[in-house]
Amino acid sequence: MIAVFLGKIGSVFLNGLHSTFVVCVLIMDTLNWLFFQPLLGRGLRWRSAVEHFVEYGFRSMPIVGLISLLVGIIMGMQSAYTLQQWGATIFMANLVGISALRELAPLMSAILITGRSGSAITAEIGTMKVSEEVDALMVMGLNPIKFLVVPKFLGMVIAVPCVTVLSMAIMIAGGFIVAVGILSIDFWAYFDQTANALVSKDLFSGLVKSVFFGLTICWVGIYRGFQVEGSAESVGKMTTSSVVTSIFTIIIVDLIWTALFYFTE
Amino acid sequence: MMNDNNNEYVIEVENLVVQYGTKRVLDNISFKVKKGEIFVILGGSGCGKSTLLRTLVGLIRPHSGRILMFGKDVTTMNAPEQIELRKRIGMCFQNSALFNSMTVGENVALPLKEHTHLAESTIEIMTQIKLDLVGLGGCSNLYPSQLSGGMKKRAGIARAMALDPEIIFYDEPSSGLDPIVAAGLDHLIRKMQNTFNLTSVVVTHDLESVQIIADRVCLLHAGKIVAIGDLKNLEQNNNSYLQQFFSRTPNPEENQSASAILDSLEDM
Repeated sequence: MIAVFLGKIGSVFLNGLHSTFVVCVLIMDTLNWLFFQPLLGRGLRWRSAVEHFVEYGFRSMPIVGLISLLVGIIMGMQSAYTLQQWGATIFMANLVGISALRELAPLMSAILITGRSGSAITAEIGTMKVSEEVDALMVMGLNPIKFLVVPKFLGMVIAVPCVTVLSMAIMIAGGFIVAVGILSIDFWAYFDQTANALVSKDLFSGLVKSVFFGLTICWVGIYRGFQVEGSAESVGKMTTSSVVTSIFTIIIVDLIWTALFYFTE
Repeated sequence: MMNDNNNEYVIEVENLVVQYGTKRVLDNISFKVKKGEIFVILGGSGCGKSTLLRTLVGLIRPHSGRILMFGKDVTTMNAPEQIELRKRIGMCFQNSALFNSMTVGENVALPLKEHTHLAESTIEIMTQIKLDLVGLGGCSNLYPSQLSGGMKKRAGIARAMALDPEIIFYDEPSSGLDPIVAAGLDHLIRKMQNTFNLTSVVVTHDLESVQIIADRVCLLHAGKIVAIGDLKNLEQNNNSYLQQFFSRTPNPEENQSASAILDSLEDM
């Protein structure tokens, strides 16, 4: 009984160690083909990277924009609910502004892009593996990391911060709608309050997070994609797993950066 | 004398062992493929013939043994050497493995774009030539999903031929095709070999296509080579598995249990 239990713990630990190792190799390979190999004249697939950027970033803007606006309004109303009791509704600007920049905009964007594009990355690579397209690349002497991974990586790591900046702006605009439209706070008073509340470090910490969220979405998606074996069922399983792992990892990364910024304040 | 022999054989496999975990899929395989011949690897389902092909092209790392291609050991090559080798070989996959996000023309042009410094217009002409070669001249702008099974395989051959390889590997070229299309493909494989003096390694279980294309055959069973030689040789061999394979006799035990159930159903 105890032996079975310990064995279980051991095998979970070993599996974790193994996947960490595989992800590390994947990361090294990606960086190698992103920075080092192009210097040796092996080229970078710029056009493909731009296409991926458009897909991950530009095309996700409508949905991220809409949700950010709604979240901004929700946050405005929730903070107004508490602040009204002290007659300090103007401080809504601080609450909405800071939480949007430091936390909610990066997180919402990352989670939406995970659902939209992280899953797509896994499904695409998984399907290519099932239909032997990855093998075909290798037999042609073309490196799958260069062809499949690096363009997605570049596109994702640039797209997530861009989308996050948009989300930040729209979330704050959501707060404006509540303040000016419902609570009849003067537009310029609210504007000044927001401008005074925010410092560049808020923006900076949000952007640092978003870059790391981008890395997470991309590497988890790709790792799960390459884990696909054999059948279409496996593609479905890994796609689900990709989204779950990715959101979980994003929260962990978020916690680490939040703690770092909190303690270095 | 030794050297002359080496030049004649483009692929030499020595004592190859491939394992998945502890399960031995290929056990001590040795054979040689001569330059310019069509070498057929024949065997039933699950005998390890696809594994053998994937090991030959370097997709699977063998447990032990050597694979010499053009006299160089594939299993100990470093990455640049491997890329150089892969420019000299082509492979047609069972389900053709065309890139679905690209048109047929782009599929064929991809190796040319990546491995040569040819101008765009030259690549276009060469792509057209390769497609004409396999009879898909007008399909350059179609996507793989718009092609029939036989056309996909032809497109796969065109892509494998893009860099004018010296060896071409076919994984089950006639599987899943109707007899007419399959025969067309067999003749295409023959024609390619005649025209370009191409060394071909074909994995199949289709006896009829073996009759048309094979110069030499190696019969694989349960990870071991049962017999090797030209078709006439093999037909005269008395090995029981070989005779069973060529006469298409079912396995007695499997049939007995199946027929027992079928009989009992009939009685009801």
